[in-house]
Amino acid sequence: MIDLIEVFDRAETGPLISETDYYMKRYVPKLSEVIARHKVKWDKQTIINTDDTLTDAVFEAAVDLIAEAGAYCPETNRVMQFSRDEIEVACAQAPRGATFGEGRERKTMYGRRPDATDDRPWVHVGGGIYTSDEQVYMVTVEKMASFSIVDSVSVPSILHLRGKDSRVRSPREILAACKTVRLAREGIRRSGRAGLPIINGISAASQPASMFAASYPDFGLRPSDGFLIDFLSEMVVGYEALQKVAFYNSISANIGSTSTPLFGGYAGGAEGVAVTATAYMIMGNLVFRGSYHYNAPLHSKLHLSSTKPLIWAIAMSNAAIGRNMGYPMVNLPYLGGGSGTKQYHYEMACYMLAVVTSGGNVFSGHPAMAVQSDSLVPDDHRFHAEIGLAAAKLTRAEAEPIAQKLFPLFGDKLKDPDKGLTFQEVYDMQTKRIVNAEYQKAMDEVREELAGMGLEVPVS
Amino acid sequence: MADADHFDKLKQAIIDQDEDEVLEAVNAALADGIGAKTVIDQGLLPGLNVIGEQFEDEEIFLPELMQAALAFQAAMTILEPKIKEEGTAGEKKGVVVLGTVKGDLHSIGKNILKLLYETSGFEAHDLGIDVDLFSFINKAKEVDADIIAISALLTTTLVGQRDVIDALKDAGERDRYKVLVGGGATTREWAESIGADGWAATAYEAVTLSTSLVS
Repeated sequence: MIDLIEVFDRAETGPLISETDYYMKRYVPKLSEVIARHKVKWDKQTIINTDDTLTDAVFEAAVDLIAEAGAYCPETNRVMQFSRDEIEVACAQAPRGATFGEGRERKTMYGRRPDATDDRPWVHVGGGIYTSDEQVYMVTVEKMASFSIVDSVSVPSILHLRGKDSRVRSPREILAACKTVRLAREGIRRSGRAGLPIINGISAASQPASMFAASYPDFGLRPSDGFLIDFLSEMVVGYEALQKVAFYNSISANIGSTSTPLFGGYAGGAEGVAVTATAYMIMGNLVFRGSYHYNAPLHSKLHLSSTKPLIWAIAMSNAAIGRNMGYPMVNLPYLGGGSGTKQYHYEMACYMLAVVTSGGNVFSGHPAMAVQSDSLVPDDHRFHAEIGLAAAKLTRAEAEPIAQKLFPLFGDKLKDPDKGLTFQEVYDMQTKRIVNAEYQKAMDEVREELAGMGLEVPVS
Repeated sequence: MADADHFDKLKQAIIDQDEDEVLEAVNAALADGIGAKTVIDQGLLPGLNVIGEQFEDEEIFLPELMQAALAFQAAMTILEPKIKEEGTAGEKKGVVVLGTVKGDLHSIGKNILKLLYETSGFEAHDLGIDVDLFSFINKAKEVDADIIAISALLTTTLVGQRDVIDALKDAGERDRYKVLVGGGATTREWAESIGADGWAATAYEAVTLSTSLVS
């Protein structure tokens, strides 16, 4: 595989082009071409694809897209070009597993294949949702880490210092990033599982300086945690990302390559998102040297990932990589329903059925499009992890009819989703127990409904 | 060819997002004596309206929207000099300055908004990403804007929207412009808390809201 310095050089030696021309003369037409060439087509009904001729066509289209469009570096206004051989070598040499955590919590997340009903997927829970209070933050992390089925956590963000929120690129942001890490590690220690990994890096950091500062070992992060590095949509590899690549490779840390192809944006519709999402996973290893991938396609207008074409595209990209590359993947869902709502549980179940049977690992999702503060409610995430583990026992063909039954329960609500609860509205802050009977009732009822549809979800 | 047939051809050429077809239809209409402003109002803009509706209904996506906008812009290079000659320049719906706040590098939502503004009859001045707050204000003064539209995707960059509003207040110019905020990290509650004139969840909503604000 081409080495990292060579990757950086590609950002300085490729053809010069304006950003608009990159999109209108390279990415957009090439994406259309590869979709047509490989006959990638969504039938507008299927949620979970089972046709692996189509799955492999998506993978080939993604390889062609990288080879023919390249990536774009906005700082140098150059196209980063890679030959087909270089791309294929990166696929062949991609990691099949990423090892996280310390001591008895040290485990390996593997790349999975579609329809792998005999393995136990990695279970990741949480999200970088804004949290308003330090006590809420600590208890949220502690509770999530305490669930025995959980292998890793994403921790929320806490931005305020002395009552004021930090702003981007400010010195206050660096302090907030360091504080986030310290509190998160302490919350995990309080759960009794000190070695449990945090794999969303530093949720309060929006710039490399904040990430690097908060990575100072005394604050509690270790190379065996995971550090997210984002592609800026679409196909943009910025210097900030490459700075993080340089640093985290230099300390041999786990890198989570992260991408958010936008449905309705330059990627277009379902087919374009499926191909582009797959291309990002390949570039996650080729460009970022990732250990695992955070796949987070999103609707450009609704700001969520649970529309029918998006779930199809996300599942498809998992299957394409699972069959052809084996790179470990988690998928980050942005869901419409608020915490504790039945809509949220239905969306998550439908999404989980699609991605876990298609080769993804288990990752609980963001409620309320991740914009409602204090909405990370740990028992939602335990339930969703349980749904993921139940889904892992099914094939795609078995999961599809259940997903089709679930979609009508939330599809019409995506433009105006049900409002949910906050952490404080669900738990007693002293005992940390659920005190909201309606919250528990909704969850119990959805568990029964899922069983009625053919998805038994045992309580962990 | 009857005028109505020219208008149909112009409209369809925009819907087809075909620049060559648009230019051919524009030249044909002008050759038959149709005024440049009429070509726009009765041919091109109805086509752009259809494009906007198709985009909202997810029948087409950003690349097609951009292609239609590029075809329209190509037509305007022919039509603008004619409009000046004819002295028929019409009123624009309004003038908008837009951009993504300081520290935020996200562009796609803002790019969609710019295209929808342009295809809806607004004069749009796109300042790009990572925009200094005084750039918003200075540009608004320079072009005598009606609206300042500010995007922010990250929670840590939201305060940049509030800063623009505060700076307008400090300069005694808050009432001179309508300020709209939007972007992935924003909510209606946030917009109200900072004293924005409006919040939109989508680019299409932002244009609809802008139209009502300037009418």
